[in-house]
Amino acid sequence: MNHDPYSWGRPSDAMYGQYNNAIANAPNTLEHHSSGSNFNENTTRPIVTGTSVIAIKYKTGVVIAADNLASYGSLLRFQGIERLHKVGKTTVVGISGDVSDMQHLLTILDQLEMENNYDNDEYSDNVDELQPSYIFEYLANLMYHRRSKMNPLWNALIVSGVDSKTGKPFLEYVNLLGVKYASPSIATGFGSHLAIPLLRKLADSEEEAAELTLEQAKKGIKDSMKVLFYRDTRSSKNYSLAVIDKDTGIAYDNNVDVEDMSWKFAKDITGYGTQRV
Amino acid sequence: MFRNNYDGDTVTFSPTGRLFQVEYASEAIKQGSVTIGLRSKKHVVLVGLKRNEDKLSSYQKKIIKCDSHLGFSLAGLAPDARILANYMKQQASYNDMVYGKKINLNKLSELLALKAQKTTQTYSGRPYGVGLLIAGVDNLGVHLLEFQPTGNVTELYGASIGARSQGGKTYLENEFENYLEIEDLDELIAHGVKALKQTLKDETLDIANLSIGVVGEDIDFTILEGKHVEKYL
Amino acid sequence: MTSVGTGYDLSNSVFSPDGRNFQVEYASKAVENGSTTVGLKCKDGVVFGVEKIIANKLLVPGKNRKIQTIDRHIGCCYSGLIPDGKHLVNRGREEATNFRNTYGKPIPVSAMSERLSQYVQAYTLYNSVRPFGISTIFGGVLKTENGGDNKPELFMLDPNGSCWGYKGIATGKGRQTAKAELEKLITSETFDFSTLSAKQAVEEVARIIYLAHEDNKDKDFELELSWCSLSETNGFHKYVPEEVYNEAVENAKSAVGLADSDESGEEDMEVDAQ
Repeated sequence: MNHDPYSWGRPSDAMYGQYNNAIANAPNTLEHHSSGSNFNENTTRPIVTGTSVIAIKYKTGVVIAADNLASYGSLLRFQGIERLHKVGKTTVVGISGDVSDMQHLLTILDQLEMENNYDNDEYSDNVDELQPSYIFEYLANLMYHRRSKMNPLWNALIVSGVDSKTGKPFLEYVNLLGVKYASPSIATGFGSHLAIPLLRKLADSEEEAAELTLEQAKKGIKDSMKVLFYRDTRSSKNYSLAVIDKDTGIAYDNNVDVEDMSWKFAKDITGYGTQRV
Repeated sequence: MFRNNYDGDTVTFSPTGRLFQVEYASEAIKQGSVTIGLRSKKHVVLVGLKRNEDKLSSYQKKIIKCDSHLGFSLAGLAPDARILANYMKQQASYNDMVYGKKINLNKLSELLALKAQKTTQTYSGRPYGVGLLIAGVDNLGVHLLEFQPTGNVTELYGASIGARSQGGKTYLENEFENYLEIEDLDELIAHGVKALKQTLKDETLDIANLSIGVVGEDIDFTILEGKHVEKYL
Repeated sequence: MTSVGTGYDLSNSVFSPDGRNFQVEYASKAVENGSTTVGLKCKDGVVFGVEKIIANKLLVPGKNRKIQTIDRHIGCCYSGLIPDGKHLVNRGREEATNFRNTYGKPIPVSAMSERLSQYVQAYTLYNSVRPFGISTIFGGVLKTENGGDNKPELFMLDPNGSCWGYKGIATGKGRQTAKAELEKLITSETFDFSTLSAKQAVEEVARIIYLAHEDNKDKDFELELSWCSLSETNGFHKYVPEEVYNEAVENAKSAVGLADSDESGEEDMEVDAQ
């Protein structure tokens, strides 16, 4: 599978032949009534995009990271765009893919959080809090619903957190197709090529993740973010890192930089830019 | 024909600010046979006396299950209760599907209150003529709620509604501090049956007319009828 | 009630020859025996208090809450027909959501007051509906970063749809005593809103409710207190935390001369209530 957001959900050319670009000139839903066409086209590509989100479980929680960049095609267009979002008290949702769809998702998540707080006394210890699993289930339904309307939200989401009742770490993925899965380490986009092998070296199973310390997990994530910055041209040095722990709650740093880089390998790479052989 | 000028519909206030039609709807509860609900810290028990039209007919259902963690008993117009049961089932299953979570009793009570209130403020339609005792368990523990046609939904340790229900209520008021601490479900049911017996006049309890509903942190909502209630008589 | 029985009071939306809407007036009657409800502004927020009469001893203490949240920064309490209040709060929540979807920020309390009063007023216009049988006190404070001006706002909305801003206001059964106390407090020479902290306002509201309850002494009650303040709750509407609550109740009791010893198990309930 090609993990470039532009290719998400597209049939591969090798399998189905080249994409018929005439379809891309089809009218959109708004023009439906005025055009003589008998089909509609909704979103077929993301416009402003965020790259990978990566996350791993450890003994008592989850570490999740995403950089703070929104690209317009290959142009690194907006800096300081946060893509990790706190929902409720023990959940962080990481969002990659189309940034305007992400912003739409945020208003939905805000509403979800507020509706849960209605008539739900926050000061008592007897609160029916939003759990990561509820938020994930809701988002997964939303994503699948939208893809079934042939009008997907062009994102891949990682929901991370701890269940405030049981203290169990939670980590699950859902994307624009409504596909969902859980794993001790999850990455979206380019991260699933570059970060996952590194993270699986740390913890290849739930059992191994349950042995992982926060420091190990954090280092794994930081190293992966470094590798991603080396090799993913849509990534930035500056990123956000959140730790959700069952005992200490959410620790969120939106201003981390990739450190201890070595670009020595770059001198051996040829074939792009202004470099001459 | 009417008792006064202000009781013809639900959209007329009396000069003292009362809504007679809604009050009359609440009276419909007393036409139904009695049902009693009570709870401990771990369980909720509903008991109800079923009625039959005549000796050969079957008994009217008294307790309805809405989800694995939720059910209610009713007094009053059973068809109205079925409308509300369908609504509760729908809301419960929606919650289960969308959030992967059993519906919270507080949320359910707000929804029911809104639904019932609507009928008391508009000319078309009429208020529900039924009272419900809702028993359920959620993340916050066990709950017993009383629903009324006015749209009032209250959370209680014990409730008794229906014909001659006062005897049961008095029993509950005297005993609730004791039964609140009970760990054993059978003991709690025994209290419920005892409370029910305070309301009987001509009837006697038997396996045909006693209906019991239980739910708790360790047990899904279960309806006990027929030979299963024998040991509680 | 000179025109009672002349037929002009039988339907909503009908004027009597002297220009009155009787059904709306009758709706106000439903409020007069409702639970005493108080709202008070302080320097950076508002405080709400409700006297909840315990009509049935099987009620679970601390449950059956009467104060509700319309939006994160707007609290609401009402006196009269409780289900009508829930209806109105539900409408308020819809308006809040609507506003947020349209303008991308939380609704100012004054905008909420206009929308809610329009809604309530509409229920006096048609004979197919009845007016709301509640007086609603609501208010809050919107932080500057959310498009507010950090000024707390407090309103009361009546069944006829009229809505006024207040420094402090009370409705329900004990309103006369409570309003007299509020007036005494606010008009006293030493009083200054710019120094009244949310905690002090909580104390005042608790004291006023206990005072207003004096006329109704034979009935037990549970006190509900909530607040929305920039300093205490970061601009969110919340129930007051246990310590503040207990302290306010203690002080209120001594202010009205209720010794600690003669509480009929009330204290236990209130601890539970948190």
